[in-house]
Amino acid sequence: MNNPVSPAAPSGMAPGTPPVLQLRGIGKFFPGVIANKDVDLDVWPGEIHALLGENGAGKSTLMNVVTGIYQPEEGEIILDGYGQTFASPQDAIRAGIGMVHQHFKLVQAFTVAENIHLGWDEAPRLASPAVMEARTREISERFGFPVDPAARVADLSAGEQQRVEILRVLARRARLLIMDEPTAVLTPEETGELFRALRAFRAQGNAVIIISHKLDEVMEISDRVSILRGGRKVGTFRTADCNPSMLAATMVGRDIVRRNMRARAEGAAPIAPQPIMQLRHVSVRDDRGVETLRDVSLDLHGGEILGIAGVAGNGQRELTHVLTGLMARTSGEIVLDGSVVNRADPALFAHAGVGHIPEDRLRSALAPSLSITTNMALREYAQPPIGRHGLYDAGAAGVLAHDIAELAQVSIPDFGMPIRNLSGGNQQRLVARREIRIANRVLVAAYPARGLDIGAIATMLGYLTDLRDQGVAVVFISEDLEDLLNVSDRIGVMFHGRMMDVIDAENADIATIGMLMGGREPASLQPGGPQ
Amino acid sequence: MATRAFQRLPTAPAGRILALRLVAIALSLCIIAGVLALSGHSPVMLAELILRSTLGSRFGLEDLMLFMCPLLLTGAAVTVCGTIGLWNIGAEGQFYAGAIAATGVALGLHGPVLVMLPLMTIAGILGGMAWITVPTLARAYAGVNEIITTLLLNFIASLLTYYLTTGPWRDRISGAQVSTQRLSVSIPEMWGIVHWGFPVAIMIVVGLALILSRTRWGYEICIGGANPEAARYAGIPVRLRIISVMLLSGGLAGLAGMFEVAGTVHRLQGGMANNFGYLGIVVAVLARGSCLNVIPAALLMALILDSGIVMQTQQLSASVILAITGLILFMIAIGDELAHYRPVATTPAKGKAS
Repeated sequence: MNNPVSPAAPSGMAPGTPPVLQLRGIGKFFPGVIANKDVDLDVWPGEIHALLGENGAGKSTLMNVVTGIYQPEEGEIILDGYGQTFASPQDAIRAGIGMVHQHFKLVQAFTVAENIHLGWDEAPRLASPAVMEARTREISERFGFPVDPAARVADLSAGEQQRVEILRVLARRARLLIMDEPTAVLTPEETGELFRALRAFRAQGNAVIIISHKLDEVMEISDRVSILRGGRKVGTFRTADCNPSMLAATMVGRDIVRRNMRARAEGAAPIAPQPIMQLRHVSVRDDRGVETLRDVSLDLHGGEILGIAGVAGNGQRELTHVLTGLMARTSGEIVLDGSVVNRADPALFAHAGVGHIPEDRLRSALAPSLSITTNMALREYAQPPIGRHGLYDAGAAGVLAHDIAELAQVSIPDFGMPIRNLSGGNQQRLVARREIRIANRVLVAAYPARGLDIGAIATMLGYLTDLRDQGVAVVFISEDLEDLLNVSDRIGVMFHGRMMDVIDAENADIATIGMLMGGREPASLQPGGPQ
Repeated sequence: MATRAFQRLPTAPAGRILALRLVAIALSLCIIAGVLALSGHSPVMLAELILRSTLGSRFGLEDLMLFMCPLLLTGAAVTVCGTIGLWNIGAEGQFYAGAIAATGVALGLHGPVLVMLPLMTIAGILGGMAWITVPTLARAYAGVNEIITTLLLNFIASLLTYYLTTGPWRDRISGAQVSTQRLSVSIPEMWGIVHWGFPVAIMIVVGLALILSRTRWGYEICIGGANPEAARYAGIPVRLRIISVMLLSGGLAGLAGMFEVAGTVHRLQGGMANNFGYLGIVVAVLARGSCLNVIPAALLMALILDSGIVMQTQQLSASVILAITGLILFMIAIGDELAHYRPVATTPAKGKAS
């Protein structure tokens, strides 16, 4: 591994030039969580600095500190050699720090020119559309981001909207541009354009921080890379000294305790030779026409746990929704128990024995304002004993809720209280047990351990292996490689909506998974391929 | 930093809400009494008069029930729609549509009461449903905001009533203005001037409460209203449920119009909806989404309306009555909000300096 570079100015810079941004010992804590601790970072004028890390590594928190959204509990922020505190994002903007978020913050119904001028203190007091459009055109030409000032934002492609966001920031005289996952929504051509523009911006002596988990892009665009892990900085490296496999290893490379939970108990169901569910070349496009799931083919076998690894937002949500009938595929085929089911019909899937522990349980699996009993009946309200002849038996629902709570080991004082009064961990356990009840064939569990403590995580993983032993096909989506490696039989790695590869978990190599998560083609990872 | 001594909870217990509402009503009555005293009226005398002519006499009670009858149904219409998370602001228009349809049957057909009344009832319900059909389909299939569409149709229904009562259906017998002739069929009276529509409305409200809590359909409506995404996740056909709930809501308001025409007014008159549709929204808000609560809420609203009429006989202008209504509802809204706050046990402050 390369040694981290010292914070000395890069060569070719006038001596005495201070970094644009210096962070010294930044610490930021949330109740029960250390989001950042002892983070030092130097960003020099004329550099593109990549910030690399897994989900939850603290990248976003750190950038929120830099842009004044959060105030750090420890450490200092130094701009051009002077200490600064930002009471609000406006302070950071005035100091020349601009951030382009992954999810654009534009007013869809406004034109490009209106969005650029919105909340800008340099906007003329009385501005006609013509004046604003002329000003926008001038800004657009000055910074080399072509936009149509009169176009309505809602009509623009994702790449064009991003240009508007960048212009918004540059128009406010940003010298440090922070971009969060800028290429996630872009086509390869748009990515190329963006990188050209970023290089031009750098050439004027400005700095860019780019948050990414795509190793190839980091290698292509950045001058230096800083890697965060568990809220702390692991190191800063010259990109020229790095290679993707070393970055991947550093990013995910904490000590992973491998406990084999693959061993079957006596009498457990073997892996069924015939798949219960199959995806054949399934693709999904979202409302903006972006392909969020690309040509995914998968076989789910009874008695097997298929782990899905990948940085969040790489198609896991779409995969879960396609597997549970919540989302229609745009092309390809879904085969369930031998028959093609291309209709998005969640009732049909649930009836066929497909359980679903969704990622955002409060938003999609529960009605937070309704009682615990009502929520526990959600999957079985139409079947006896709760549902008979179109009636709903509240007493039977209460019995069911008691059963579920007992199995989930959640003690509940009052089953009539709204379920949002329970802690997130207890909600998660209840949803998991509710879904396991109906999952006779398949259980799709998206991040089921998220927000649980260590003991609860072990219980949750135990639920999954129990189901597997009963012959259910389990899909286990997680961002925790340790859990994935411990319980999965096979692991599929997703990147950009694609299933990069499905590998045998027993012999899986963490560095390989890290490379696949970062978008490296499996072919290039074979022995003899470029390293 | 000052320690926060109160915390807002997402839910408020029903008992607290009731207690704070009683406080709110008492406070508003004090304010009203004060203002009336300042303007030279005797609050004690007025209160006595109001009590005597509402709760304190048989005629008063009969009037109250007549006011409650349409309020129960329009309140239930808005409440039922609210269960699936939608606002039917158009009960006023559906009320007129139901009244028009029932009148049409009464004017156009002739037969025994036992045939005519069920026909008029069905016509009233269908009229209300027809009036909400376009907003329903627009909501279910195109996502068009039902608040606007239902509201705008109110004005059309109201004007249509004026047209009919001054045009084709105008009273050619006694020459009454903006009215049809007296209908030959009417809902039989039960107690004084109170017709059988009143107990039927109460039964409908109770029946709705049972349907919502004891049927599969009701369960699906509640889930769909509380979290549409969870409903989709559970495989509930949300669109079909929206259509059925909105049609039911329109039917209820239409029935209110039929009862008013056939039981209370006995004619179709321009302006006869008397804001019952809009007051149904107030009743539903007071009932906080529970059908059974619609009964006391409708009683309170009827009391306010009835008191207003008594006060008008005492040379208080109609706008004073509106202001009083507004004040009471405003105070109740504050009470509801305050019911969400709970004192939080704070550690004793070390220094009182800050």
